Amino acid sequence: MPILKDFRYHAPVSVAEALALLRKSKKPLLLGGGTFVLNTLKKTAVYPTDVIGLRKIAPLCGIKDAAKEVTIGSMTTLAEVTSSSVVREHFASLAEAAACVATTPLRHMATIGGNLASRFFWVDLPSVLMALGAKVSWAGDKAKKTLSVEDFLSLKGPEAQGIVTEILLPKNGLTGAYFRHTQTMEVDLPIVAMAFAARRQADGVKDVRCIVNTTLSRPVRLTGVASYFETTKVGEWKADKAADVLRRDLEQGKLDDYRLHCLCADLESLIDKFKKA
Amino acid sequence: MKTVTLDINGKAFCLDVPDGELLIETLRDRLGLLGTKYSCLEGDCGVCTVLADGKNVLSCLMLTVEAEGRKITTIEGLGQKDLHPIQQAFIDEGAVQCGFCTPGMILASKSLLDAHPSPTQDEVVHALDGNLCRCTGYVRIVNAVLSAARKMTKTP
Repeated sequence: MPILKDFRYHAPVSVAEALALLRKSKKPLLLGGGTFVLNTLKKTAVYPTDVIGLRKIAPLCGIKDAAKEVTIGSMTTLAEVTSSSVVREHFASLAEAAACVATTPLRHMATIGGNLASRFFWVDLPSVLMALGAKVSWAGDKAKKTLSVEDFLSLKGPEAQGIVTEILLPKNGLTGAYFRHTQTMEVDLPIVAMAFAARRQADGVKDVRCIVNTTLSRPVRLTGVASYFETTKVGEWKADKAADVLRRDLEQGKLDDYRLHCLCADLESLIDKFKKA
Repeated sequence: MKTVTLDINGKAFCLDVPDGELLIETLRDRLGLLGTKYSCLEGDCGVCTVLADGKNVLSCLMLTVEAEGRKITTIEGLGQKDLHPIQQAFIDEGAVQCGFCTPGMILASKSLLDAHPSPTQDEVVHALDGNLCRCTGYVRIVNAVLSAARKMTKTP
């Protein structure tokens, strides 16, 4: 007996062709790397009539380095993101985060666009991309848009029907860090993670972005923590004070003590890292 | 149904397959390549590992129609005359017990050694993170990969 029920498979070679298939299909489903979608199809009762594979759309693949930004095609695999010298040079925290996702064979298959477009709460990359100020190029039925990661994640219903084409990362000189905690093994999904980015100045930092990612909600921006770091000289950063601010930032977040403890430990590591740099 | 031409272990196969057929089904049930195993079917265990253009991927998470245009290597494609040095190292180091995970382990190791001929122990452990073994405790497997790496880099 086949593992998957049958459907019509399409392999468009352009975004326009893929959008046309999305429009005319009764119950379409986009297929990127397949690691989420094909697993879901093995369990779901809601079945697509048409699966639209994106891997033959050449413009969606690869990493382009320009003067002011780096563009990552949505079908670029996580392994390619991890090993890209351009990403490692300008966005080391993204390369580190991509290297932490799942396992080696899954990173050879899973794509950065799929990681975002899945809209699963627990995936690693949206929080890091938010911290780095990334934008998402998205082609919908009626319009093409460039959205912040937060705006992209909040698209709902028919409005969300479209194709992520590129991730745009500005070369803004931010120093980033990513921390993640799993329940048992490293390869598990993170139960809590924190992405951080800031621009170093003489004795302080500017443009601080601190994003927390959990299995409970979309990534949350810690505005209090960001403000604490921005208004305090690096030499005067205190882990206990930062932790107090973090707890206030996450008061509504329903995080248990263990996850809060993990985040406070991450702040301590972050402070050490910046003080030693 | 789709007609696909697959490049598997260096041979071309022209097949009619349902659009929703997974590569593991084609390999095992149509082509009789039984070294690729069915197990979790969720991408967790790694026993269905094949190489696609030299990279270890999971055939339970790939549609056969999406394998067209890629060079697919299964365990049967390695060491077709003599054992591949990685296979020999697995035997020499006692890295095979029940053998169920072995094809996936060997293909994941090949993917690693083709890209990084002299990996560290940590790099080997990281590269095999998608392959589960319930018998060996991994130590002998890691030793086998390191041993194979040493032998393969010495070979002119």
